Amino acid sequence: MTDGSLRILDEMATRSNSRLTDGVVPGPHWTQDSECVSLASLLDDVPTLQVPISLTAQIYSSGMNVALRRWPSLETNTVSAPKPPTLLPAWKPTRPKVTTFGITFPEGASFLPVKNAAGNVSAEVGSVAEGEELSSLVTICPVSLMDVESLAAAKKKITRIKPPADALSIEDRLFYLLQPPLQSWLAGQELIMPFEPFPYQYEGIGWLFSKSAALLADEMGLGKTMQTITAIRLLLRSGQLRRVLLVCPKPLLPNWQREFHAWAEEIPFVVVEGDTDRRRLTWTMPGVPVLIANYESLVRDFASFKDGEFPKFDLVVLDEAQRIKNRESRTAVTARALPRRRSWALTGTPIENRPEELAALYEYLGVVPPNATPDLRQLQYLAKQCILRRTKDLVMKDMPPRLDRDAHLDLLPAQRIAYETAEKDGVIHLNELGDQITVQHVFELVLRLKQITNFDPLTGESAKLDRLDADMEEIAASGGKAILFSQWTKVLDWLAKPMAKYGALSYHGGIPNKKREPILQQFKEDPNSHIILMSYGTGAVGLNLQFAGYVFLFDRWWNPAIEDQAINRAHRIGCKSQVIVTRFISNDTIEERIDKILTEKRQLFAAILGDGDNTNKALSLNASEIFGLFDMKARHGKGTRTIGPQ
Amino acid sequence: MSYGQNEQLRMGFLTSIEDAERGFVGGLLVTNRFGRPLEFHCTAPVKPNRAQTILYGPTLRPFVLSELIGRTLIDKIGVKPHLVLLEFGEILGLRQHVPIPVGCLVEEAAAAGAVCIGKFWIETNLEYPEDRTEIEKFSKSIPAEANLIEPFDRVREALDETLRLGAVRIA
Repeated sequence: MTDGSLRILDEMATRSNSRLTDGVVPGPHWTQDSECVSLASLLDDVPTLQVPISLTAQIYSSGMNVALRRWPSLETNTVSAPKPPTLLPAWKPTRPKVTTFGITFPEGASFLPVKNAAGNVSAEVGSVAEGEELSSLVTICPVSLMDVESLAAAKKKITRIKPPADALSIEDRLFYLLQPPLQSWLAGQELIMPFEPFPYQYEGIGWLFSKSAALLADEMGLGKTMQTITAIRLLLRSGQLRRVLLVCPKPLLPNWQREFHAWAEEIPFVVVEGDTDRRRLTWTMPGVPVLIANYESLVRDFASFKDGEFPKFDLVVLDEAQRIKNRESRTAVTARALPRRRSWALTGTPIENRPEELAALYEYLGVVPPNATPDLRQLQYLAKQCILRRTKDLVMKDMPPRLDRDAHLDLLPAQRIAYETAEKDGVIHLNELGDQITVQHVFELVLRLKQITNFDPLTGESAKLDRLDADMEEIAASGGKAILFSQWTKVLDWLAKPMAKYGALSYHGGIPNKKREPILQQFKEDPNSHIILMSYGTGAVGLNLQFAGYVFLFDRWWNPAIEDQAINRAHRIGCKSQVIVTRFISNDTIEERIDKILTEKRQLFAAILGDGDNTNKALSLNASEIFGLFDMKARHGKGTRTIGPQ
Repeated sequence: MSYGQNEQLRMGFLTSIEDAERGFVGGLLVTNRFGRPLEFHCTAPVKPNRAQTILYGPTLRPFVLSELIGRTLIDKIGVKPHLVLLEFGEILGLRQHVPIPVGCLVEEAAAAGAVCIGKFWIETNLEYPEDRTEIEKFSKSIPAEANLIEPFDRVREALDETLRLGAVRIA
């Protein structure tokens, strides 16, 4: 207790004592004072003692002291009174949320609005600014390639690109479905073409466009080159391709260059040629959309790159793809090893001899596993998926006809003697070989006999030349032009002299590449040049000589498919008049026997596979058929036995 | 904004197909002036409910096609068109909801405000007279032989394909 409080108690005690000291002890308040007992008398009986207090008291700060003095804060809320019940409906229309799905095409990507650093989309790209002059647009002068008389007429003609069977995702399928019809696409100002493609060519272009593995096997002369170039052009323009490799036989390089200039003038291409360093530079050159190489340089250069270093391509096209029919060959191995996303092959003769050749092409296309041996049913199934083949008979009904006439000629006397002697000696020699005989031995004899049917090496007599001379006289007089094919360069050289009076030009493997194109140009333009002498190997493929109305097959090739290729140099799209094809066949010779077998085989396959596919497997002679050309026998004990492969 | 190489005219083709069970499906194809596709967007099937069918009555179809489908597609598409073409005049009201000129292909110039592009006449919303001027400007860069009906076939075919594959679910 504090001193103060003690003082108060003391004072109270003093007051009480004062009354006590007065001698009166106050009684209860209901009693009279008179009745009070004297205090002094009472105190006298109680001993007292004064004790000093040394304790002190302190107030500690707890924080509550201030809070206790603070006014409590008050907040007010307005609570609305409940609405009176109503009879009106409380439904409010809402806009249903519509979900969408979309795809952006490669060409459209550049139009998408760009997000700025803050993540906001920049000013609407699509809107046209106020006051903007659309006259800044390039004024278009459309090149009308399609005479659209009426929309109804146009609708009948349109060719739409269909999604490929292997396109499963909706994005992929819509990509193809939403492409414009090829006709309107090609009629656009972006794609100028020398002339409008035929309807079947539109189909072919559309088919190639959507294929990642395709074998275009149109018959020769239907425009495989043009369809391929246009499909490549469309794919490049639609942003699906960036880098294309086109591989063709060396003699066809100028042809592909010419066709690219004609059909895709705006697409730059580079031919892989020159020395090793230059070729390597070309392979690795960036920004070249189309590279054109020949098979030989491809094989050589591919080997010179280390594994994985060879440039990658979006598309590899093999022209005359029968080159890879032997799947073990270096060319085939290299072609399959090329890093690529799409594989196309072009050939008019997908099967020359055996179905396995088609399997080799399928392997390149990547539709069968390595070294697969698909059976006939699988081959047919894959053919439906990957092969497009049209024949002239089916698609070019209005094309001038091809008139085949076989000239059966009797050998001249000196030729006959030379021929019979050679045959007799040859057969004797073969028989002497006995079981050691191979197809090569027979082949040599056949070649020798065939050469004699062309001309007698000793006297130079030739029944074929006489007939040719007579025909050419007439052709030259009418201003016509003729192509002559032979198997041998030697025969062509021999013919050059007697044919010189008709302005004969030679085009074969012995002619340097640089000189070939001017020769073709001269043949086309020079009115005095009426005949060109060509070898099957060099002239049979890829050339466009539709201005020539006559074709002579001076000797017969083993495979009628190759002969057809040769004939189709002249009988192809663009030819204005009929093409007369003359095959020289010497009577009673090996030529007649070969012709008979080939004709029978052609008829047989036409009967089996129909007219639409008149070039197919096993048209050429196999080993047993070559042996069968002669009556081959070997001594066997006392008698003889027939020999040759089964 | 300047019209550079990348800023050439872009046209939108908006149409729809109607499936009795699933409702309306709309598609918008944006092409360049040659008809080459740049972007495509389609909606999930939109099926009006019973209340909407009763309340909107004959205006239901324009409501669904313009306000729901057309507006959504134009909002969602990334490559914005300079001009949206329609097949049906009844949804020209779409213009009220989008900031892009909208025109409808008509057979002849009977309608007021129709503009000629090549062989086609385009009718515009009369409440937006400036659209007519805009479309006249655009017409200079559209090839004369352009077939403006054909892209609608493509859109319908694509819509059929999306329905067939069930690419988009019912909203």
